[in-house]
Amino acid sequence: MSHTNRNFILAYTFLVALPVLGLVGILKSGRSLTAPISVDGMWQLQADAVRLAALPCGKTLAENPDTALVISQSGKNFTLSLSNDPKSTGSGELDGTTLRASLAPSAAWSDDAGCGTGRELSLVAKVDPKADPRSLVGVLSVNHCPECRAVEFQAVRQSPPVRKGPH
Amino acid sequence: MPDLFKLVLQLTVILAVCRVVGSLFRRIGQPRVVGEMFAGILLGPSLLGWLAPGASAYLFPATSLGFLNALSQIGVVVFMFLVGLGINPKELKKHGHAAVLTSHVSITAPFVLAAFLALYLYPRLSDDSVTFTSFALFMGSAMSVTAFPVLARILIERGLLQSRLGTVAIASAAVDDVTGWCILAYIVVLTRAAHSGRSIWMTIGGIVVFALIMIYGVRHLLARLESAYRKRGELSENLMASMLLLVLGSALCTEWLGLHLLFGAFMMGAIMPKEQKFVRYVLDRFETITVTLLLPLFFAFTGLRTNIGLVKGAEMWRYCGLIVLIATVGKLGGSTLASWLTGMRLREAAGLGTLMNTRGLMELVILDIGLDIKVISPALFSMMVVMALVTTFMATPLLGWFCPDRVLLEESHRIPSQEPAIRTLASPSADRISA
Repeated sequence: MSHTNRNFILAYTFLVALPVLGLVGILKSGRSLTAPISVDGMWQLQADAVRLAALPCGKTLAENPDTALVISQSGKNFTLSLSNDPKSTGSGELDGTTLRASLAPSAAWSDDAGCGTGRELSLVAKVDPKADPRSLVGVLSVNHCPECRAVEFQAVRQSPPVRKGPH
Repeated sequence: MPDLFKLVLQLTVILAVCRVVGSLFRRIGQPRVVGEMFAGILLGPSLLGWLAPGASAYLFPATSLGFLNALSQIGVVVFMFLVGLGINPKELKKHGHAAVLTSHVSITAPFVLAAFLALYLYPRLSDDSVTFTSFALFMGSAMSVTAFPVLARILIERGLLQSRLGTVAIASAAVDDVTGWCILAYIVVLTRAAHSGRSIWMTIGGIVVFALIMIYGVRHLLARLESAYRKRGELSENLMASMLLLVLGSALCTEWLGLHLLFGAFMMGAIMPKEQKFVRYVLDRFETITVTLLLPLFFAFTGLRTNIGLVKGAEMWRYCGLIVLIATVGKLGGSTLASWLTGMRLREAAGLGTLMNTRGLMELVILDIGLDIKVISPALFSMMVVMALVTTFMATPLLGWFCPDRVLLEESHRIPSQEPAIRTLASPSADRISA
């Protein structure tokens, strides 16, 4: 074997082959990691329409039973909007299986539903990670409104994300 | 039916903004494509949607984005064909060990570092619908890619295309791209197969059969195109249309097999005859409309999906900084080390590392696929877009710093006896080319 070839093999072993072995090790050790529960997708809301209509900001939701909550997740953080009113946007955080989020209604919705300025819908819910499709159980309330009664709701994920992959 | 008025308005605004920003970037010594990528971000929620949400909602309503996406994807299909067309496997053979080691290290170093970073980012920026393996492999392939077309553009602008630096960079980038796309293909196949319920082995078997047909059947058919060109000095409209049909057919096949449209287009380009004049002729026919009209749509569409606002707070910006750092250390550092070991002077090797660190448009194409198959989250997508912009932006000034003209001149007059012993790794042909 020539000197050039021997050097090449040595360099190739240290700079390519060994790192590839390292990669295999990283992939193996990464399998034990856990990522936050997936809540990404569309969630069909179910709540008592009468109680929802009585809640400031809840009227539009009560009048549109097909409204879905659209969640776009990035790790523990997520943004949310309403399927029939994309201008109503909010954000939240996932803590284990508990979701906490606030949703600022769009101007049109706010006027229509009598939200008043500075008020937002607040959402606290628990995810059932074992349910298929995944479901949420929680309460909707309005911030800066101590007299408003929280409304219980349930939601079922309509479009689970398409991802999955090798183990 | 698309709202034709809205679609034409979108095209007009996108083209105008891309041309203006591209020209501004040219003035500061950056390739136009970097400006156009930046223009896409400006048109998205990161700037226009943030400053003027009403105008943004009017110009790019959610319902209209499907048509814009379809047009932009056609542009990327043709672009990937052109990228494949520009890749010549013989270039790699010319440089022997130098290019093989440089290209392989420039893949493995960022790949392994990215997988290592994935250990930290997976619990923070992903969720349990993505497996760690998919996440880490995707991060690796996204960080190890090199923007072959941007790299070629920088080399042409610096007059370095025929230098040793230029030829090794082109050869290594070609290997990087082919390897990166193969790994990405693996991830896409596994992800899509898991979702569709189709057997993974059926998909892999289909892809192998498709590749064999392309290499041993279609390639010979394509050789006839080259002979027709040699006889007449041009290709008839019918032959050009046939070529386009083959590109689209190949793209459809890979999509149908559960891969992605872009792999078929890339493969068709890769197996095309590589005679220089023929390649130039085909590039000239397709390049103008693709680069001036269709790619800006892709930049705009990518910009519309990029929301820098999702990268909020010190913690998220720290993740973003880590991504840029790891991508740069892996790619620039790895390529520099390998090329230095194969005989280049440190400055020239650092120049090569800088060129290899250029990710540009290829990165955006890969990230778009990652977001489509949901292997990466929207916030991570935005961070990776920032990384693509930063690494591409830094290429021109860093190259000028590492390799000013006097260094390249010295390099071209350098005598082999001055080289250190470890340079026995360098291919003799590489030295002949630089002489």
